[in-house]
Amino acid sequence: MGRVTRRQLTNLLGALGVVAALAGLAFGLPAVDRALPSERPVRHDQPYLIGGGVTVVPPRASVIDVTGTRPGDHEGTVLFRLGPVRYAIVVRPFDGTLDAAATRLRQRITDTSGYQVTGAQLTVATAEGLAGVQGGYTGPGQGGRYAVFVAQGRTIEVIVGGADLDLGRTLPAIEASTRTLDPS
Amino acid sequence: MTAVQPARAVVSPRQPALWIILALLVAGGARMATIGMRFAATYPVATLTALLLFALLAVPFWLFVAELDFLEREPIVLRVVAFAWGGLVATAVSIPGGAALEDITAKLGSPHLAADWGAALAGPTVEEIAKTLGVVAIVLIARAQVNSVLDGVVYGALVGLGFQIVEDVVFALGAVALAGQGDQVQPVVATFLLRGFLSGMWSHTLFGALAGAGIGYLVVRTDRSIHHRVRVMLLAVLGAWASHVLWNSPLFTDGLGNGGLALLAVLLFKGLPPLVLILLLVRIAHDREADYYVGQLATLHDPALITDAELSALRSGSRRAAARRHAGHRARSAVRRLQRAQAQLAVELSRASCSVSGGLAGSVSGGSDSDSSVAGGSVSGGSVAGCSVAGGSVRVSRCCDEVRDQRRILVAMGHPEAVAGPRTWRHTASAVGTAVLAVAVLWAALTALGGA
Repeated sequence: MGRVTRRQLTNLLGALGVVAALAGLAFGLPAVDRALPSERPVRHDQPYLIGGGVTVVPPRASVIDVTGTRPGDHEGTVLFRLGPVRYAIVVRPFDGTLDAAATRLRQRITDTSGYQVTGAQLTVATAEGLAGVQGGYTGPGQGGRYAVFVAQGRTIEVIVGGADLDLGRTLPAIEASTRTLDPS
Repeated sequence: MTAVQPARAVVSPRQPALWIILALLVAGGARMATIGMRFAATYPVATLTALLLFALLAVPFWLFVAELDFLEREPIVLRVVAFAWGGLVATAVSIPGGAALEDITAKLGSPHLAADWGAALAGPTVEEIAKTLGVVAIVLIARAQVNSVLDGVVYGALVGLGFQIVEDVVFALGAVALAGQGDQVQPVVATFLLRGFLSGMWSHTLFGALAGAGIGYLVVRTDRSIHHRVRVMLLAVLGAWASHVLWNSPLFTDGLGNGGLALLAVLLFKGLPPLVLILLLVRIAHDREADYYVGQLATLHDPALITDAELSALRSGSRRAAARRHAGHRARSAVRRLQRAQAQLAVELSRASCSVSGGLAGSVSGGSDSDSSVAGGSVSGGSVAGCSVAGGSVRVSRCCDEVRDQRRILVAMGHPEAVAGPRTWRHTASAVGTAVLAVAVLWAALTALGGA
């Protein structure tokens, strides 16, 4: 077996340096991200601006998860957490009908491996009278609800996900919050 | 002057870095294959379309880099490694790293900051580091092959190209998933127009080239102090990062109104300054390398090997192309082969540090070559026997023979010299037509993608 030369040692150290830098990017940054808290308190008595001019009153006992919240002038997303239950609202520009928006959301749900929509699709309306549709879905280890509204050239998609027991406990507060959606 | 130091060896299996880099490529490939398989299972037609379209997009970029690299061509295996690093390793690292950094921006700043500047800060920071490490990897496995700043540019551009193509495919399939219309190709085509035509020119290939130039300068310009070289390298990487930040930034998103012209103005404002700056730097690096190699050939003083007009043509990419065009359809590839043989001869002369006083022709066995005249078309064969080249005489001799062989083929075609002819109306018309077509395609893309 030959001796390791100084040149080979330098070469090895250089390569390990590259590996360390890559590991820092691929694993170090996500580790730092996980170490930082992502939840922020939010007021439950006033509307929260999601994006594109759409507001919602957050459910009681909810907090905002900043990793899923990106407000904007033309579109935006917000992610509320009620314990282990996720309550996400996404606002995007859209020029189709409510049926098309609902079909699109259902397709996206079923395109995700292991997910399928369940039960019949029902109509729903906000306190301001904005009509939408809602339904349910199941996925690996969790279930959920979805709702879609279309207003003023935007689609408002609501996705709720969590374990059945947690959902049963939090759905009334979430549905009350969904009814406060205001696209004006 | 150590700006150009040609080398022969490609990679050595005795270098530990080779195996570590290969392991990283395999790991990155496995990660990206997992992502690709997931898309392909749900959207097979869209996945295939995206792969085909963006593979086609890679062709002109690859050809441009190849022309840039014409004189001292980098080994294909290293070019493939650079491309694969960008497409497999840098992307595999950037997906989790970029998402994490954007989330950190939201956590330490605010969701508003992350929404507005997250893509501008997180993407460039993670991606430019991951891509630059690709050029570092090339240096580690084949230091001898990075022997000019231009080599750094070439490897950096190829790393960037690999990244750009794979990222575009992932973006296209993400658009398909977001559209929620099943396995449709429309989002793929829209992404192709947006990221291929409108953003392709000032994208990762360009940023990678700039960062690669910095690494090239660091390892090649040993005549400068290490502090100076590190400063230049950091400046180049910072420049690539800043160009990327500017491109991803929300500046002027709403500032110039709607319509195709407004969108074009934003694209030009964000993309043109880095494009011009980097192309200028690449031009300087190319000319520096070209001057060096053409200088090697100029010492030969043998018109059978290269004429004065061919020296001038070989120095510039556009003049090399013009010479091929001037040769016509039949002799085009013969001119290319002659130019390639001349370039290879220049590299071998440089490698051998050959001092050919009086020119190689004077020491050619058979003697006829010293009298050969291109104009008369009487180029005869012969081999270099008496060239006083230390160590590299056999290779130089072979290269001389190859140039003579290619010259003979060209002469037989009635086209003795590989030089550009006078500008023809057909070429002018072709150039104008291509420009008009490019503007029309650009305008159609702008209109289709929200400009209207």
